[in-house]
Amino acid sequence: MNAALLGVAAYLALGVLGFLGRGWLAGVLALAVGAGALIVWCPGFPESTLGPGPWGIRLIGDTVALGFWSLALVLHAAVLWEEQRRRGAFHPLLTLLVGTTLALVLSRDLFNLYVCLELTSLLSFLLVGYEGRPTSVWASLQYLILTTVGMILYLFGLGLVYGRLGTLALSEIGSLVGKGDPVVSIGAGLLLSGAAVKGGVFLLGLWLPRAHGRAPHSVSALLSGLVVKMGIVALLRLGEAFSAGPVLVALGVLTGFGGLVYALWEQDLKYFLAYSTMSQLGYMLIGFGLFGAYGGLLYALAHGLFKGLLFLSAGKAIVQAGLRRIGELGGRLSWGPAMGLAVGTWAIAGLPPLAGFAAKGVLGAALPAWGKWLLLALGVGTVTSFAKLVPLLRPRGGRLQLAGEIPLVLALFALSIWSLISHPFLLDPYLWGQSVFALLAGLLLFSLTRRLHPRLPQLTLDRTALTLLLGSVGITLGLLIL
Amino acid sequence: MDGQIAMVLSVLLAGLGLFTLIVRKELIFKLLGLNVASGGASLFLVAVARRAGPGVPIIGLGPAPAADPLPQALVLTAIVIHFATLALALVYVIFLTEHRHTQDVRHLERLEEE
Repeated sequence: MNAALLGVAAYLALGVLGFLGRGWLAGVLALAVGAGALIVWCPGFPESTLGPGPWGIRLIGDTVALGFWSLALVLHAAVLWEEQRRRGAFHPLLTLLVGTTLALVLSRDLFNLYVCLELTSLLSFLLVGYEGRPTSVWASLQYLILTTVGMILYLFGLGLVYGRLGTLALSEIGSLVGKGDPVVSIGAGLLLSGAAVKGGVFLLGLWLPRAHGRAPHSVSALLSGLVVKMGIVALLRLGEAFSAGPVLVALGVLTGFGGLVYALWEQDLKYFLAYSTMSQLGYMLIGFGLFGAYGGLLYALAHGLFKGLLFLSAGKAIVQAGLRRIGELGGRLSWGPAMGLAVGTWAIAGLPPLAGFAAKGVLGAALPAWGKWLLLALGVGTVTSFAKLVPLLRPRGGRLQLAGEIPLVLALFALSIWSLISHPFLLDPYLWGQSVFALLAGLLLFSLTRRLHPRLPQLTLDRTALTLLLGSVGITLGLLIL
Repeated sequence: MDGQIAMVLSVLLAGLGLFTLIVRKELIFKLLGLNVASGGASLFLVAVARRAGPGVPIIGLGPAPAADPLPQALVLTAIVIHFATLALALVYVIFLTEHRHTQDVRHLERLEEE
């Protein structure tokens, strides 16, 4: 535990020190200390208390924490590589953001979760608006307002649960929660709603597409790969304590298909990737809701890797071409971004042998029959939505310069390693058949629906605030019925 | 004041704040609503602390039973966080007013579409 705390402390201290100058170097140092700390504590540690007596903060170093630590460090390394030239407050803020996510995944305590969620949000607001363009500042303000509403709901839930059960430690809450206590159910509903807003769940967290679409490119990669998953981790921890698995599954199905509908017809490259993140969050929620801590973990990590790659490549492509519309970008990209997008698309479509395939295989093998169909439908939808990226994958020619593409090679390596870890699934003919079917069905659907252009409701601030409140009422009712 | 009444009032306060947030169209009023709502959340935690007793939670001060010190400590943290968030939001509103010359949400959304 001490090593993990040291890692977090080093991240926060170096983040603050970075404001004095040489923020990039401080980030690299923090990354090195963090990686060292991870190696020391990687066998994990049982739930322990930091501080005296009943007021101590509960921490745990389980597989979830371990996985998200690795993901955070890998993504931080990728962004450090991409943004070597950025000066000023960018890298210190980034280091602090990664540090708070490291602290968040360790905590097993309602209030510590709240503080970490708020800190990650505050740092994300700053980073989304960092470049000072009115569109991104407006996106950031919408993100801020909705997240704050969610956190107000969370505080009310915290008050209700603490007032009734007298503890903030999640494991004790888990043993004290009895069936049929409406006060605790309402409190749990409000807590879950707050976390769902942070996690970009459909209806509650509709700030996501705008914030991820308008943020600086490398920040989008970190937000989509890591920061939204902090809300999902909070949902997982809360869901375990209040045994709210079915609610998580319902949210997962809603998010999966809701995000998909928007992704299908979105023409702006970064908005499209943001909607796709939303629909991918559905997989994780379904996995976490049905099987607890390890259900969606592999998927969350795989998604963090390939979505990070997709956003970084999309950012490069947009900078290169000076355009954002998917239809206009075709044939204008150089080798690097085109290859990055190709690998990311291959992985997100769940095709062998990359990480998406392995993660979907692991998740699908454990699901009941209806869940397998659901997963297949989501997979077909993902292929359909990503099919419009195919014209982008043809590079405009020119020589392949390998030196600039080291991150890409690393990403490919990391994605394949994930598949090798779940080696038995790689040779299952049923899974191969399933992914080929998803590919063909998705392409067929794409060719059928490409002429359709329905007008989906715009996600304005007022509408998203209303759906947030409606969604939280829905979650609370669901927990009351449960 | 009794703890129960304070709880009900804090919920009403938060409801009022959220209502303002949704109904008003100017950003400043939206932020005011948000701030009132977060005040309601803080008040709610204080009311939860008050259920243990009316006394000051310092050893050697006043007759027992004292209020629960834990939620009061949490409220302090929450107030600091709300303050920081509000300050950042106001900076963003100033920025948007300078660059877009409006605080009306509908106008800002229209500009976003273009």
